[in-house]
Amino acid sequence: MCLGIPMQIKEINYFKASCEAKGVEREVSLFMLQHEEIKVGDFVMVHVGYAIQKMTEEEAQSAWEVYDELLAMEN
Amino acid sequence: MSLTAEQWLAHLKALNFTKKFKIMNVCGGHERSITHAGLRGILPPNIELIPGPGCPVCICPEEDIYTAIQWATHENITLVAFGDMLHVPVNVPKNQARSLEQAKAAGADIRPIASPLEAVKIAQSQPLKKTIFFAAGFETTIAPVAAMLVEGVPKNLQVLLSGRLTYPAVQMLLETGQAAFDALIAPGHVAAVMGAEEWTFVAEKHHLPIAVAGFSAESLLAGFYSVARQFQTQHIALDNCYPQVVHKNGNPTAKNQLNQAFKITDANWRGIGMILKSGFSINDDFKEQNARLHFPNYDDQARKRAGEMPTGCDCAKVVLGQLYPNQCKLFGTTCTPRQPIGPCMVSDEGACRIWWSAGLRK
Repeated sequence: MCLGIPMQIKEINYFKASCEAKGVEREVSLFMLQHEEIKVGDFVMVHVGYAIQKMTEEEAQSAWEVYDELLAMEN
Repeated sequence: MSLTAEQWLAHLKALNFTKKFKIMNVCGGHERSITHAGLRGILPPNIELIPGPGCPVCICPEEDIYTAIQWATHENITLVAFGDMLHVPVNVPKNQARSLEQAKAAGADIRPIASPLEAVKIAQSQPLKKTIFFAAGFETTIAPVAAMLVEGVPKNLQVLLSGRLTYPAVQMLLETGQAAFDALIAPGHVAAVMGAEEWTFVAEKHHLPIAVAGFSAESLLAGFYSVARQFQTQHIALDNCYPQVVHKNGNPTAKNQLNQAFKITDANWRGIGMILKSGFSINDDFKEQNARLHFPNYDDQARKRAGEMPTGCDCAKVVLGQLYPNQCKLFGTTCTPRQPIGPCMVSDEGACRIWWSAGLRK
């Protein structure tokens, strides 16, 4: 539950965003990032459907690589 | 410029560590990365990595799971919970449901969810029926539950809160002389929410090396190098090896929402006991959403005694970083992911489950 997933923001509607990771789209809440300026195209770390921090594309990329490795090994 | 995993490892080896040095992590995500990347096998042999209190499902008090089962079975409600919680067995007579999964099979309306947003949607879809969200977790999960409440939920949604803070367990180990580690890797995403500063007590009060790390091999190896170097030079201070998402004071909005919705209380950890100021309870402003105030209480002393870890199960010692998973007699013999006895074999974040799924055996 503590492993976040980096996602890219595709659309924002108040505190709800449509975010994408590896081709999968999900609704994500931006309610916990009210102190940040968030725009379409930004990357965020998502935990249980809530964005908890903003991150750069490079950081998102490196986190995805870790998860790909984990998934490959667990399968 | 950041270094590669190989470069961090070379730096670590160049320290020529001769003393036995045990580094504990307190995050199931860290343990998964360490185990699946095989980091234990590449480190100098005297550096040991031990998993500590990093699995909220493992320490969720049995009386809370029992309560959730009873409400789901005897009240006209829908109970929603994060998927892992459904499989955790409790200690009951044979004719009763041992887990939320068994209660569901027997007809109770219990649904696994992956986000508080789903709990809200389920409640909205059935306004005439109460939905209870059994919310167990550490700060990374409980902060979104607070956000959900502060943003506003349907009247028919209530919360059975079983949230815990991570650092008080480490504090308890250090203050009671039970710490079986020489250095600590602090949890990256907990620190992203709560702030790295929360962990300075390890260095400042207990003079133990500590670094916050992320989940890549690079970040973890940077963390191991940092704590080993701190130990060797005796320049001990909290280091942040995950600055990309971890800031000194964390996420201010999340912390504010946590304070609005919850207060910090003493809390029971399964198999471990009460830990001071280690749990969350719902503030009076949100009492209409506090399921504990509206449904029967099953949290009595007899239940607490029955809720200890199962006989022979060393989950409590594994959670506290005092035993490795494969040092438990039940590991891989009578306790496997298909038929778990202790909660550490149930959750994806439980050390026993992680070791088993990575092929580590006796």
